[in-house]
Amino acid sequence: MNAPQELLRKEDLRLITGHGKFTADWSYDGMCFGYVIRSPYAHGLIKSINYQEVLSAPGVIRVITAEDVAAAGMKSLPTGATMQNLDGQNQILAPMPVLAVGYVRFVGQPIAMVIADTYENAKHAAELVQMDIDVLDAVTDYDSARAAGAPQLHAQASGNLSIHYIRGDQAATEKAFENATFVSSMGVKSQRLIGSPMELRAVLAKYDTSTDSYIMHSPNQGMLGMLGALEHVTGIPKAQIDLQTQDVGGSFGVRSGAFSESALVMLGSKLIGKPVKWTGTRSEIFLSDWHGRGLELNGFIALDSNGKILGLRFENKADLGAYTCYFGSFIGARNLSITMNGVYDIPALSMSSELYFTNTVPVSAYRGAGRPDIAYAIERLIDHAAYDHGFDPIELRRKNFIQPNQFPYDNKIGSVYDCGEFDLLLNRALEMSDYNNFEKRRQESLKNNKLRGIGLAYFLEASGAGTAPKDQVIGQFTQEGVLRIFAVTGASGQGHATSFSQIVHEKIGLANDHIEFVAGQSDKMMIGSGTGGSRTLYGTGSAVMNLCEQILEKSKPLTAQVLNAPESQLEFTNGVWQHRETNQTLSISQLIQKTFVQGQPHLLNLTGEASSGATYPNGCHIAEVEIDPDTGVTEIIQYTAVDDVGVAISPTLVQGQIHGGVVQGIGQAFYEQAIYDASGQLLTGSFMDYAMPKVGCLMNIQTEKIQVPTKNNILGSKGVGESGCSGSLPTLSNAVINALRPRGITEMDMPFTPAKIWQALQEH
Amino acid sequence: MQITVNGQTQDLSIKDNTLLIDVIRDQLQLTGTHSGCDTTQCGCCTVLMDKVAVKSCTVLARQAEGTSIQTIEGLAKDHLHPVQEAFSEEHGLQCGYCTPGMIMSTVYLLQTHPNPTDEQIKEGLAGNICRCTGYVNIIKAVKSAAKKMQETQV
Repeated sequence: MNAPQELLRKEDLRLITGHGKFTADWSYDGMCFGYVIRSPYAHGLIKSINYQEVLSAPGVIRVITAEDVAAAGMKSLPTGATMQNLDGQNQILAPMPVLAVGYVRFVGQPIAMVIADTYENAKHAAELVQMDIDVLDAVTDYDSARAAGAPQLHAQASGNLSIHYIRGDQAATEKAFENATFVSSMGVKSQRLIGSPMELRAVLAKYDTSTDSYIMHSPNQGMLGMLGALEHVTGIPKAQIDLQTQDVGGSFGVRSGAFSESALVMLGSKLIGKPVKWTGTRSEIFLSDWHGRGLELNGFIALDSNGKILGLRFENKADLGAYTCYFGSFIGARNLSITMNGVYDIPALSMSSELYFTNTVPVSAYRGAGRPDIAYAIERLIDHAAYDHGFDPIELRRKNFIQPNQFPYDNKIGSVYDCGEFDLLLNRALEMSDYNNFEKRRQESLKNNKLRGIGLAYFLEASGAGTAPKDQVIGQFTQEGVLRIFAVTGASGQGHATSFSQIVHEKIGLANDHIEFVAGQSDKMMIGSGTGGSRTLYGTGSAVMNLCEQILEKSKPLTAQVLNAPESQLEFTNGVWQHRETNQTLSISQLIQKTFVQGQPHLLNLTGEASSGATYPNGCHIAEVEIDPDTGVTEIIQYTAVDDVGVAISPTLVQGQIHGGVVQGIGQAFYEQAIYDASGQLLTGSFMDYAMPKVGCLMNIQTEKIQVPTKNNILGSKGVGESGCSGSLPTLSNAVINALRPRGITEMDMPFTPAKIWQALQEH
Repeated sequence: MQITVNGQTQDLSIKDNTLLIDVIRDQLQLTGTHSGCDTTQCGCCTVLMDKVAVKSCTVLARQAEGTSIQTIEGLAKDHLHPVQEAFSEEHGLQCGYCTPGMIMSTVYLLQTHPNPTDEQIKEGLAGNICRCTGYVNIIKAVKSAAKKMQETQV
């Protein structure tokens, strides 16, 4: 095939020709296959499990049991950061064992792994297991978990409560409510979701006896996070695990750490002396990938007679699932609180969150991880309060915006917002959406028996400072002057290689084909955060920028030598060093070629690093919807997204992130919901029952960026990965309620399915 | 049993219950065709069978006997196919996992509807799920590919 025409991203050629390499695409000679035996019950006491028939089935090599896991000295899965109240009280943890011990606590919980010569044999053998489990009653949401006499999941967690987390100034907030002229309240649910990256989760381990080390293939969101989790669970030092990942088919928070299957294939490979691969089916992924959301947010707002907000209080409940895994607690507690005032200047804030254990799949991060949920709750509450007390919803927002001269703005509950131009973005969104003429369009729709609604939300979210103290990248030049950049982050569709190459090209002039980005090589010892919290572009990107700055600085004396010119005569212009008088030029690639010494690292092989603080991307989104009252079907007529993501490095990729985020919000707003029955069976166990957004769910979207550069990193960029979602949940919901309000419907929870809307319209 | 895959005739020994996708991925090591669900919903496994788009996870290998299969790997000849080009140019892919299926479904759509309407695009790609892009740029890519293909025919 000839060299392709100009493609948009460096990643694209392999992905559009079928040459991407996802975890399930790796194979080894002699490879065996694992199949996980899972709990069919939501809650039960394990009396005995008999594997005799499994072991004698064709092709079976071994069954890895809880005893094997214990004998290998494995620990439970990471519980994530422990939430703590200000009085020092820690949350009660319930770490998830690799394989169930004593009790099973959710449908799908791993009990054993069968390893056989083929996938088919492993799967068939697994069906022969005999489980003697005393089935216990289950709790499947926070309401049933907290009920009197509810079945208890963990002896240490009385009432199934992990923590009653409290933040903010209770006394001041109480006072604000006492002094208020108007008070409104609004309870909303952000329903449990299933993240569903398109790549089926898979993991492959190949143990090497001679070096006592492993080659691992696994989707991840950055090498260090995955290695850290693997080391934590298995006790095998990171240095003995060579994690190799090329392509990851979406992550959205779900792929950040090791799962039971990761530890099991490692142990299996060591015990049988052959590579072991596990690939989940979609039904298994529904029962074993961490779920998302599962939150209830009850907001109370206090206003003075002019509509100035005096105080805001939230009382939340979070469903942790059966165990504390990774980010579940962090989301339900910390992440809901730190931006709970949104874009508003509110003098008194307080929040409480009750985190409950339930007999369901553990909850962890899913796109936005608490930030879309709180943005949703605030913006629905503001709309609700405006209608309750006769304020214009736009003016009520405008009146309470934090003003540009108030930055840096300390909200006193965990965030210092650095910058923002909320009025500017609001005005632009109103203009682009032709907001002022909406009433005419509503009347037009009415003539066609359609209920038209417009919804607006102004969201703000905190994108991550990162878990590591700084981000590093290593730059190494080849003889040909190609710069290879190594980093610990891992992409799953964001286009890291493209954006980072662009930073390098623009700063030091290297041609695009002279820049290679290599993510996650375990033998390169680096510090850095994984891909999460929408921070990689500015986290790792700032380290790339720092690398380029150092290369420029150190290349100057070297260029002076090569050109035999004084440094004072050199300037870097148009991507090359140029002699001011002779106009002689030398590119960085040429410089490398001329000064490269075989067998020696080049002088310009350097480590770039940067520390980046949290950033506060924000935006104003407006949606216009039309509901057919005869069917309850909602059509999104127009979606407008005006976003401040700071400096946008790759505008097309930024827009792609916003599209994707908005549509994941459409998924939650209109289609998706994980539903358990009272016994703890997942009723939405496949894409047949769990509705995903499909092509055509959004036909008209207009996006615009207003760039307010942040000073919290050297690029001036803010996060974008999760902001689309934070904007679209409240925007779409406000639009639906706006359409239904003339019919007397003022409250409804997502997802706004045709059946739910139709039913509500029958009752009004 | 014989199947022609990307122009090459393959002699295969298969079981009666072997799925076409397993022949493609496991026996022929053409791993560009992906599996994304167990229920024929996601379309990541879409290939062309005698020029018709099929979900290879729901076709028995036996059913494909004597047919000509085209997978994503067989689409680009001397140059990228216009649909491949358009998906990249319009940023119609992010993680790329659904992309082979999306591209094959689009190739089929444009064979049957060279200048598809929005409704025809929705129908043509109704069996393909993408979790990353929000589909906005996929629709753009389909339209752009249609234009490219019509221009090259002229």
